[in-house]
Amino acid sequence: MTEKARTTEKARTTARAQAETEREEIGTIRARPGEVLHRPVLAFALAAGALAVLGLAVTGLPTDTAQLPAVARQAMRIALPTWGQTEVVSEVVYGSRGFDTFGETFLLLAAVISVMVLSRGREPRSEYVGESSAGQREQAELDSDGGSSGTDQQQDEARSAERREESEDAAPAELPDDLPLGSRAPDRAQAMTVVVRAAARTAAVFLFVASIYLAAWGFTPGGGFPAGAALTGVAILLYGALGHQRVNRLIRPNLLEPIEVFGAAAIVAIGVLGLVLKGSAFRNFLPLGETGTILAGGSQQLYSGAELLEVATGLTIAVFSLLGMSHDWAGDDSESDSDSGSRSGSDDEGEDET
Amino acid sequence: MTLAGSLPLAVAAPLLGGALSPLVARLHRRLALVVGLLSMAASGLVLGLAASRVYRGHPLVHYLSGQGPSHGQVLGITFVADPLGISFALLTVLIGFFLFSALLSEFGEIGEKELGGLAALCQLLLAALIAAALTADTINLFVWFEVAALASYGLTGFFLERPIALEAAFKMAVLTSMAGFAVFLGAAMLYADRGALNFGQLHASLAGPLPRPVLVGFALLIAGFATKAGLAPFHGWLPDAHTPVPGAVSALFSALMVNLGVIGLVRCGVQVFPSGHRMLGLLTAFGLVSALLGALLALVQDDLKRLLAWDTVSQMGLLMLGFASATAEGTAGAVLHLVNHALFKALLFLCAGAVVHATGMTSLSQLGGILQRRPLVAIAFTVGVLSISGVPGFNGYVSLDLLHAGLEHEQPVLWAARLAQVITVAALFRAAWLGFLRRRREPYEHLAAPRSGMRLSLIGLGVLCVSFGVFGYSIIRVVAGPAAATVLHPERYAALALGRGGGLPVVPVEFSYFGAKEVVPALVELALGLLLCLAVVRYGEPAPIRPLRRLHTGSVNDYAMFATVGVLVCAVTLLA
Amino acid sequence: MIVANYLVAAAVFCLGLLAIMLHRDLIKVVLGLSLMEASGYLMLVSMSYRRHATAPVLVNPPSGQSEQSLVNGNVTDPVLQNFCLTAIVIGVAVTGVFLAIAVRAAQHYRSVDAANLTELHG
Repeated sequence: MTEKARTTEKARTTARAQAETEREEIGTIRARPGEVLHRPVLAFALAAGALAVLGLAVTGLPTDTAQLPAVARQAMRIALPTWGQTEVVSEVVYGSRGFDTFGETFLLLAAVISVMVLSRGREPRSEYVGESSAGQREQAELDSDGGSSGTDQQQDEARSAERREESEDAAPAELPDDLPLGSRAPDRAQAMTVVVRAAARTAAVFLFVASIYLAAWGFTPGGGFPAGAALTGVAILLYGALGHQRVNRLIRPNLLEPIEVFGAAAIVAIGVLGLVLKGSAFRNFLPLGETGTILAGGSQQLYSGAELLEVATGLTIAVFSLLGMSHDWAGDDSESDSDSGSRSGSDDEGEDET
Repeated sequence: MTLAGSLPLAVAAPLLGGALSPLVARLHRRLALVVGLLSMAASGLVLGLAASRVYRGHPLVHYLSGQGPSHGQVLGITFVADPLGISFALLTVLIGFFLFSALLSEFGEIGEKELGGLAALCQLLLAALIAAALTADTINLFVWFEVAALASYGLTGFFLERPIALEAAFKMAVLTSMAGFAVFLGAAMLYADRGALNFGQLHASLAGPLPRPVLVGFALLIAGFATKAGLAPFHGWLPDAHTPVPGAVSALFSALMVNLGVIGLVRCGVQVFPSGHRMLGLLTAFGLVSALLGALLALVQDDLKRLLAWDTVSQMGLLMLGFASATAEGTAGAVLHLVNHALFKALLFLCAGAVVHATGMTSLSQLGGILQRRPLVAIAFTVGVLSISGVPGFNGYVSLDLLHAGLEHEQPVLWAARLAQVITVAALFRAAWLGFLRRRREPYEHLAAPRSGMRLSLIGLGVLCVSFGVFGYSIIRVVAGPAAATVLHPERYAALALGRGGGLPVVPVEFSYFGAKEVVPALVELALGLLLCLAVVRYGEPAPIRPLRRLHTGSVNDYAMFATVGVLVCAVTLLA
Repeated sequence: MIVANYLVAAAVFCLGLLAIMLHRDLIKVVLGLSLMEASGYLMLVSMSYRRHATAPVLVNPPSGQSEQSLVNGNVTDPVLQNFCLTAIVIGVAVTGVFLAIAVRAAQHYRSVDAANLTELHG
């Protein structure tokens, strides 16, 4: 313990000395809150210049009386015979430019994985990772540098609220119906009142069915993206109304991640099957069904369905990862930052509200 | 299924691997990285088969979704595997393989969720780079640009214990998102005005006088891709993003991801845009400023990885000088330098990352003594430094000579490039001396030895650096010459993209390995660089560079202002 | 009159740009980027609009138009609408990642002022 204290102390002094010299070198251009007047003037001038340039450009664009470009007319012509689609935008999305949508799917996957990586909890590492100790040093520098005076009370309140929330996961959640009317804020119940819960449960069923309908029987095939986003909306609605303890059983990363991976793998498979069976990736390889039914469009319907799975699960994972972000990477000024995330809620005795 | 038709498989393999990695990591954490290795091998197989035809003068063209051209109008997405694209794609796969091998040995013990995420994001980024190299469609290029951008945001913020990682991730996200919107707006305006998405169709439609929306559209495209490439004044994110990331990830950024911007600039600025309107002059100006700014700021850095990142800014500037020179030697030299830069920059960053990972120290003033304790890492770093300095026998010598030969008709530009080279030599030798070669009395608290995966990557990249130097003639004849052909003959590329077939003309590139015109300047630059290095090590930071350092305040607002100035410069130059 | 839409879109884009260059609050910078995204959607949809045209759907054409006239091009541009969908997905993804970065950065730096996020400079 003493060796560690010694190294942190040494790091702090060297860091402080370094910071002093750096501040001298860089001088006053190092932006301090509340100064540097040239920035608004410059910003307005540059934005005005950008507006002038863009204005020059858009006034030269074709107006709404121009004819459609030839590729758009081509899309209209081939929609029904080649792709069995009555809605041409879906034909462009899942048919002619299916590879763009393929890229977009993995763009969303990249975003979801990025959010997961950024919101992850701390995991044990079995060997020395140099960047961790560099990070500890930098954090120590930062804490000694900037004063967090004036926000201490806010910070303490926020921290104790967080700890209380973490410790409450073990106990059953209170419902607001059990609290007497007219209780003072804050309302610490997880869920909402019985009216909201009942309405949310009903609405969720309708919304769920409507989302699936959108993808399956709307201007079909197509509608995978908005249906997926609507399903995420249903998940968030239920989370808001019922509280996270109730929805955690169903909306867990362990359950949703395999479905997301399945959706992504299915899309890759659709592309590869089009390549193997028809000579070009993302070409339709199933017989075109009757237009306007669930079997229309051949493999595009599968594409849209896989898209629905992937978008719904991906967005839900992203939102719930953000909501579940804890505070275990940047320790507080008074704590050491080398232990893992979960803390036992042992300091709740100070609270006597409600 | 033809060979051309199987090109999307090279993209699909790493995408699938990336999607599977988080799940696979739950079984056993290193399995995620093994999936990465396998997906790189699969892509490499497809690309290698394609390359054997492409390099013989038969570029491959494929229309996805079976949507071919009709009367010169292309609705679908086109893949054109020309020598430039295939070279970049193969390079991506090769370096990706070495990076996964390094990660496998060095990062095998971190948590399983983080390792799964790291492997997934790396594979998604690599897949996006392969696709961007092969595509011939503006919106498709934009989509892969965005995939690469989103993967890179997660990778930059990977080490959540380092506050600078989050700061760098924020700045990078702001600037790259601005770039993404610029590219998107530009591509949409070009479609609205010209009705063209395919590069060949767009090129054909740009005959005659160009209206304002087209010029501003191209200005936005140039600005967006220049941000990704890290050219000044769009470069604010680049040094910040390379400092806090794992060594293999910074190698990925510098060696491969910035090339996405360069490829975009070459495709849109040189191949699609007709000559005239001062476009090449604009690109040369950006290249010049970047080359000098990057070299000057690299000279005075204390953080090892930040120094290498500033050098990347300089090398990207040099690449743009070559591509915008419109000569055979300049373009071939630029292509070769793109490949060589990827190799030696990856090597340098892997060594730097290994040192930071093993010791926990990042600043040059505290490092040193690696040669005595970990000779492999130090020698690998030195090989990289010798390559970048243009020492005869290493790969940098060949490409730098070609580049300089291509700039002969613009003497001021040539002398600026030579000056940048001298400063670069000084900066890199300073890094090698302070960080690795000098003696250090106090022992390191932690200094684990590199394991077999990292050793394989270091030795592999080092051997490639030397062999690309020794076999310079063959590499020029097989790779650089054909790749320059599509850049120097844009009408041939356009015809390929429109499905009109045909081969590529042979571009004669003159290069003599031991000619006086090549060896003497290289040795003189080396000598001057070493002198400058000694001066800086002895006397500290030169005073003229201080205002340049102060200009980079680190505030995201300021960097956004620099980028806006850059966009306005592009627009005004093209419109005037 | 669609030029009015274009100009509004350009103005909103520049407002977003101004917010990024001017505001120091991280969340306001993210909002500036959202403004730029939204201006992109407006621009794309406006560029796809055609006067006296209908949606690019081939069932139940409105009175006075036949399916044949729709196929010959009396519709708004479906390709630009596809790009708008792509842009919306990208906007969602980018905003999500941005907010995660902003929250984590605020946890470390204990402030959302971009002027305090200048540890990396020079």
